[in-house]
Amino acid sequence: MINFKINDISVEAEKGETILTVARKNDIYIPTMCYISKTTPCASCRMCVVEAEGVEGFVLSCNTPPTEGIEITTNTAELENERTNIMKLYDVNHPLECGVCDKSGECDLQNKTLEFNIERQNFSARDQNRDRQNWGLINYNPSLCILCEKCVHVCNEVIGDDAIEVKFGGYSSTIIPKNADTLDCTFCGECIAVCPVGALVSSDFEYTANAWELSRVPATCAHCSAGCSLEYETRHSGINSVDEIYRVKNNFEFTSLCGAGRFGYDFDNKVVKEVDSFKLGIEALKNSDAIRFSSIITNEEAHILELLKEKLGIKLFNDDARKFAEFMKSYSSISGKLHHSGSLDAIKQSDAAIIIGSRIATDNPGVRYALTTAAKHNGAKVVYAHPMEDVLMQNVITQFMKYEVGTEEGVLALLAHALLVDADLNEKEKAFFDDLDLGYIYAETNLGEEEFSFMMKSFTRTKNRVLIIGNDLIAHERSDNIAKLAALIEKYSSFSLVIVPREVNTLGCSLINSLDIDEDIANVVGYNAKGSFVISSQEGADLAVAALNQQEGTVVNIDNKVLPTNVALSFNGYTLNDIANALDINKENTVDYTKELSKNSGFKTVEFDDLENFLSKMGDDVRGYLLDEVTCQADGELEELDDLPEFNGTIIYHADPVLQFNNLTKQAAQLEKDNFLRGSKQFSVAAKISDGDKVEVTFGSTTIQREFKLDSELKGTVALNPTFDIGVDSSRYRFVKSKIVRVV
Amino acid sequence: MNNEQFNDRNVSNDYFLVDIEDYPTDGWGKFKRVIKRSFRGELFVGLWVVLREMIRFDIHTVKYPEEKMPIGPRYRAVHEMKRLWESDTERCIGCGLCEKICISNCIRIDTKIDENSRKEVSEYSINLGRCIFCGYCAEVCPELAITHGGEYENASDQREHFVMYEDMLTPLDKMKAATQLEFEGFGAITPHEDERVKKTPLAY
Repeated sequence: MINFKINDISVEAEKGETILTVARKNDIYIPTMCYISKTTPCASCRMCVVEAEGVEGFVLSCNTPPTEGIEITTNTAELENERTNIMKLYDVNHPLECGVCDKSGECDLQNKTLEFNIERQNFSARDQNRDRQNWGLINYNPSLCILCEKCVHVCNEVIGDDAIEVKFGGYSSTIIPKNADTLDCTFCGECIAVCPVGALVSSDFEYTANAWELSRVPATCAHCSAGCSLEYETRHSGINSVDEIYRVKNNFEFTSLCGAGRFGYDFDNKVVKEVDSFKLGIEALKNSDAIRFSSIITNEEAHILELLKEKLGIKLFNDDARKFAEFMKSYSSISGKLHHSGSLDAIKQSDAAIIIGSRIATDNPGVRYALTTAAKHNGAKVVYAHPMEDVLMQNVITQFMKYEVGTEEGVLALLAHALLVDADLNEKEKAFFDDLDLGYIYAETNLGEEEFSFMMKSFTRTKNRVLIIGNDLIAHERSDNIAKLAALIEKYSSFSLVIVPREVNTLGCSLINSLDIDEDIANVVGYNAKGSFVISSQEGADLAVAALNQQEGTVVNIDNKVLPTNVALSFNGYTLNDIANALDINKENTVDYTKELSKNSGFKTVEFDDLENFLSKMGDDVRGYLLDEVTCQADGELEELDDLPEFNGTIIYHADPVLQFNNLTKQAAQLEKDNFLRGSKQFSVAAKISDGDKVEVTFGSTTIQREFKLDSELKGTVALNPTFDIGVDSSRYRFVKSKIVRVV
Repeated sequence: MNNEQFNDRNVSNDYFLVDIEDYPTDGWGKFKRVIKRSFRGELFVGLWVVLREMIRFDIHTVKYPEEKMPIGPRYRAVHEMKRLWESDTERCIGCGLCEKICISNCIRIDTKIDENSRKEVSEYSINLGRCIFCGYCAEVCPELAITHGGEYENASDQREHFVMYEDMLTPLDKMKAATQLEFEGFGAITPHEDERVKKTPLAY
């Protein structure tokens, strides 16, 4: 603790805090233009200058840590004059088009110009012709740009795309795409969010509405298990005043959002009420043998489905959540608790991370951004173990472990062996490691002992370690033993564990529902899933229900947090609760079930309306609540390692392209629907296909048509097959043997 | 000026109760009232005034619709959309403030980006059936684009009565003839505004 004074108020700073953060904590105002909490200070605006006792000149408060006993003044006349002059300089040649500018009303430059009462400026510079640029989903207007560099810092330090940079040139400096003519990135749109002026804007939103016309609805993103907080901004459209979502914003000061969340918001159901189909739906449910549902639903809906199961005596199918529940059950049998210990925040604060079994940049961008933050801010050592390299992660990872497809169990055993070398294991666990045939595993996984010793060496002196487990391990045939190994690592080492669920509420469904193994039977009602009668918010439904942005409820995200989401758009039709009411499961509103969610799984008795959905001023996440930790019996035992499978022939990996996750993102107008089968040169030679070929891909019992695209960024003999448009069985291992035939 | 008359808020002395007869309660009383009202001859008082003035040829009636009263510059009737004097282009920048401020919620505006990357009003309508002609839209308009005109004859056979952007916009031939009238009502630019404007310092 460092004690010092700001404006004669005694304040305390923790190690690593700057004068600015301490001031903000204590409600002392220091104006800034370029500062953004989640990156290192840009220090380009110099608005945050303060005076320090005994120090000549001004001090930048954003990047200066306080020293013991120092006296800081933030509001002298000289400082005011300095800041006013900076604001005057910012205003030189700034186009006077606030009336049409998208940012007007929420613009930092506008606010500060008014705050400092800049009525005139006595500086001038020759104005220059600067053309607007269209970068796909993003438009850049250099004449509005104030070169605060927030966008560059965020892109580099938090997102990890590193796609834009400042082209230095004095007064003619601009932001340019890095090493390219046009912007080539994952289009997370974070640069739009952080831009304090209207220089970087969404090309779809540009000039369609203004800040003062939009109503904000706090919600939780529906696309992946990161459960990012976002705000849908709605406004009526057209003469008939039908509400529409115009854009999505996030609290960019502390959180990030990927492009799917930011641009993929238009998945609402526009179908209107049909009484006949409702009656048909009730009949179908009464006559059904099972309900198959997807995990893209709220906890309350999952709870209603569970009640329906009891009431109608039918089965519940959701293989994605079932597989996850089984994984967690095996995990609990060793760890003795229900929930994994890690979180996105733990990843952000980590200095050592191992990620295994996931193409994380597209599976869960939230984890990717957390890893980027850790790597850039804490210098975290990131070990990425996967059979395929990922170009998106190359800025972040420090060590890539390429293992053979299918050998995840062996990899985790080796990992546990390396990490638990000094651990205080019990006899049986010791015996397990003693019995390991290391030579065989090294050979089959194609990993070397030196890779693990390199990893261990790089992890020395690290304190906050995280192990991130992806879907390849959850959906693996040997997931049972893998979960136990992961639990063992968490139990006996300093690693915290993050298990990445696949969909937005896979975790919630796995806790709430008692799921049956999916059978191919006839009378199945699909709830947002396939079935003989489909109740869905998507196209082709027999009975239309509200989509996730049209209903309130809660979801459980990767952090084990129960997060509320609210109604952004009204839906004139039925919800699952109406169906339940018709079947005598009576509750007025779906959210009446929020407080009834199972205590045994860690849910609390909290009314939905008592759940908050915002981030505090200092960035503390006060959304929803954290699941209570539940202890359970640790009676599991490790099984002996099975023979590691070999995958030969043409292997495809089910992985969605950037910005695509599921049929909700497929529906979003702005998101690119890139459904090419992507493979390396090596793959194309092996599969005897070439770039642009129409191919027929057969795996399991499924056959689909794809166009093959040669991807120079890929290596190896595995091709990427998108699943957002076909919806494959999510409980299956994502690497599959396939037959690929060219269609003439 | 003497403010006494304004400051004296005790006005009760000037009020008096009107002498109102008690209402008849029985049938006979009511019958008497009907007879009294029917045969009092008040009708002829009015008729006599009309006849007298007709004979004197002292007639003040405006023969509407052949004759119309002049409308004051601040009169707030059907809206107009003005053009810029210097370029004949539309003044409206599509900021949407008129829609936001409208208390009867009768303005709808949609904007988009046009092919020249400029903001374009793609849809604009005012529902005159809902409009209460309060003048807020004209007052809030930063460009003096939406104003009130003198066109008050908007009787229609239905409540909903929409005017669209094109109908309100000053026609180009009117601009060519330089006959666009500036609104002098509330929200309009104040006289001698030019003298208050200061130049941006530009060394070049």
